Amino acid sequence: MNEEEKLTVLAKLAGLNIDPAYHLGVAMQLRALLTQGELLTSPPLAAEIEPAPAYHP
Amino acid sequence: MILLDRLERLAGVCAIATAVRRGEITAVEIIQNRLDRIERLNPALNCFTQIFADRALEMARAVDVMVQAGQDPGPLAGVPFGVKDNYDVAGRVTSAGSIINRRRAAAKADAIILQRAAKAGAVLVGTQNMDEFAYGFTTENAHYGPTRNPHDHDRSAGGSSGGSAASVAAGLTDFSLGTDTNGSIRVPASFCGIFGLKPTFGRLPRTGTFPFVHDLDHLGSFARSAADLAAIYDAIQGHDDHDVACAQRAIQPTSPALRKLDQSFDVAVLGGWFHDMADEQGHAAVAAVASALGATHRLTLDLAERARAGAFVLTAASGGNLHREALQAQAQDFDPATRDRLLAGLLLPADLVLQAQRIRQVFREQIMAAFRKHDLLIAAATPCTAPLLGQSTIRINGQDVPARPNMGVLTQPLSFVGLPIVTVPVVRTGLPIGVQIVAPPWREDAALAAAARLEAEGIVQTAVADAC
Repeated sequence: MNEEEKLTVLAKLAGLNIDPAYHLGVAMQLRALLTQGELLTSPPLAAEIEPAPAYHP
Repeated sequence: MILLDRLERLAGVCAIATAVRRGEITAVEIIQNRLDRIERLNPALNCFTQIFADRALEMARAVDVMVQAGQDPGPLAGVPFGVKDNYDVAGRVTSAGSIINRRRAAAKADAIILQRAAKAGAVLVGTQNMDEFAYGFTTENAHYGPTRNPHDHDRSAGGSSGGSAASVAAGLTDFSLGTDTNGSIRVPASFCGIFGLKPTFGRLPRTGTFPFVHDLDHLGSFARSAADLAAIYDAIQGHDDHDVACAQRAIQPTSPALRKLDQSFDVAVLGGWFHDMADEQGHAAVAAVASALGATHRLTLDLAERARAGAFVLTAASGGNLHREALQAQAQDFDPATRDRLLAGLLLPADLVLQAQRIRQVFREQIMAAFRKHDLLIAAATPCTAPLLGQSTIRINGQDVPARPNMGVLTQPLSFVGLPIVTVPVVRTGLPIGVQIVAPPWREDAALAAAARLEAEGIVQTAVADAC
């Protein structure tokens, strides 16, 4: 599959209707986001780190 | 006549309010002066999306009536200001820089912050241009056109509050109110050579403003001096129940702190990511501020790059979520640069969004540890000076990267954890560039006091645009 085909599948799975005319631009932006996303997952965070808000007295 | 001459030389918030309260000049004279200036200069700059001449003159007359009756119209008496087009103005549809919002109902009331500014005597003259839905750093809006930098009309004013910043730099208004989700006050303040304040997350209520990313959106202001920023902030701060994120904190006036120019701060220069992603002009600006504040420590926050990535990812996901319905029903009406990023945000794995929030938590702990050792932190506000409009790439750290998403590399990590920051315009030749003065949560007073000290020492000063 090329990127455009992958995006079609992904959008369908996510229940989104994305005009094929936008696929190339969306794919480019998604690639940029996923590149940034790699910085979030590696190295892994300690298991006890959680984002829930904590209330203190 | 002398006062009107001073006005042309852009007297500023405190000077105008003082003159009006003393009856030395009328609010109507000031507003008319600024409306004339807008008529003359705005066609080239495109700062405004709508101008409220009648409403402004009516409000100015009300201020003058109070003065004549011996009443005090407030600390911002007769001061002309503009507001980013994502604040509600009663009777008007809040566009947020889009055409999609035109289908929304007109606002029933002014945003709460506008109500507070009006109560303090300030006079709203118009709404100001922005990136669509605040998603951008250049104010190159596909629907309303680009806002031009008053220092060089071929260059960007920064964004997303570009119209608001350019308006203050060109003297069309004496302050402006904007929003900052990832740097949308600090980036345009840097490019336009003016002062900008992004207070602590939760400090200013967002009631009556159009959201972008709920847990990153801040309101803030632009002005031509630190004292002006403090006067505006003091007039508009305070809790409001209608914004669930607004902190239950008492009003903490900052203006008194600015008069203590001899106070010293333990200041550290942010290194690592914050050094590497700035160019030589940014380094020189930071060095000038560091020297004046006696900053000898350099501090590296090793999670800064990951915090920036977290802000980048969270913004796309949250923005996509906010606009999901419109993206499905009328995607063709979005600015293409906004639409593609929001749609991509909707396709992000949930795993990454959760990971971004976890990084945020750890980065917050890291930066709070830094504040146990230092009072203030400083870093360049932008990786470079204002790029040309339409410029597709900028060079950062030896690499050519897309210009539009990367103007906020130095601002994003810091707003990700909601810290109060004042951007100061460093005195230099050539295009302006700003430095961020970062304070611990709720210490807007410290950042503003440091900015005032730098101003008193001639290190920072608003760059008055020659072209105006």
